[in-house]
Amino acid sequence: MKKTTVDNKDNRFELLKELLLAEDRKDFKLLQEEILESQKFKLKVDPVIDEKIEDLKQNFPEYFGDNITESIKVQIRESQDEVVEALYPIMGKLIKKFIVAEITKLSESINDTINNKFSIKHIIKRLFKGKKTDAEDVLQEVFEPIIEEVFVIEKDSGLLAGSYSRGKIADKDMVSGMLTAIKSFAEDAFSKEGQDLEDIKFENFQLSIQNFKTIYIATATSGVINSDFKDELFDKINNLAEVVLRDRSYLSDEEKLNKIIIETFIKDE
Amino acid sequence: MIAKKVLLVGNFGVGKTSLIRRFVLSEFSEDYISTIGVRVSSKIVKVGNEEIKLLIWDVAGTNDDEKIPKAYFLGASAAMYVFDLSREETYVNLKNQIEVVQELSGLKNITVVGNKKDLLTSNEIDHLIKTISVPVNLITSAKENENVEDAFTILAKQSLN
Repeated sequence: MKKTTVDNKDNRFELLKELLLAEDRKDFKLLQEEILESQKFKLKVDPVIDEKIEDLKQNFPEYFGDNITESIKVQIRESQDEVVEALYPIMGKLIKKFIVAEITKLSESINDTINNKFSIKHIIKRLFKGKKTDAEDVLQEVFEPIIEEVFVIEKDSGLLAGSYSRGKIADKDMVSGMLTAIKSFAEDAFSKEGQDLEDIKFENFQLSIQNFKTIYIATATSGVINSDFKDELFDKINNLAEVVLRDRSYLSDEEKLNKIIIETFIKDE
Repeated sequence: MIAKKVLLVGNFGVGKTSLIRRFVLSEFSEDYISTIGVRVSSKIVKVGNEEIKLLIWDVAGTNDDEKIPKAYFLGASAAMYVFDLSREETYVNLKNQIEVVQELSGLKNITVVGNKKDLLTSNEIDHLIKTISVPVNLITSAKENENVEDAFTILAKQSLN
């Protein structure tokens, strides 16, 4: 069909548009491709990112725990005053609460003991007692000394021959080995020849070590240890050593030795 | 059950502690161990029909410059000397060092173990064993858990003699 003038004009206009906007169209196409590409990429990457975020949520302490701990340590070290200021109100309250509870318990216990001590029965008893002061008497009853552990250990090898334990020690053999090692280390490092380590204090425990020819006896006690209790304990240790060293069969029969340890140290309690 | 004290000796870094870690799980803290220079671990080993509780004293080093209390060596029923196959300084004085352990512990036989087998080829190991002044009882790798159990079984057997 023959084209009209108007058609020709339109075509020319279209042609002109094509010519003038060619560059823009190219840019537009590129932009479109870029957007499509990024959408495709987003579809691919989204699940991976979600998975990673979930993994991070689940395992955050494992991935960053050490770093955070380290940062906190550094922060505390470098800004001690600020940290103390921030923690003081909380810690102070906790400590105060604990001390109040403990003092209440202590005063109840002291009241009971004092009431008991000033009963007619005890006043008569006191007339016959030795040098012990009332304060010592009260303290001893409030913080009664208790034999917690007794270990009979071969001196050189550190092997455990027999024991008594109030607590639950998982591996007594290993403990007696380490105790022997610590004893040897301390004697080697601090003592002159022939001197032995005799006392170790640890938290609420007092560890006493009595050395004999082939064995040593270690006892762990808790509570307030006065001279009477100490004398009594040493007597018991010496009695046990005497029995064991006279009859060496105790050292090769753990059950038999454990029985005599209980008889010596615990049965009177 | 019989309990025996056995020693594990050798220079620093030869893998004594790794051998023990493969064999038993220790509960003592590392700070403590490095201070007193010894770690005591325990493990029950079966030799034939007999069960033996081994109290393994892992003594840190045997050099004169390392002040290790002599008492650590007393009362032991067996000892294992460990050296590092990949470090010459740990076996160059092997004979002398074993004699020191023999003297301190009063033991005649010491089990000699070359550790870190995984760092050498079998040819290198063969050549090395020929050049060492004392017979090597076992080659181990604590890292790859090779011959570790055997080394402690030898030690347990030795403790019964």
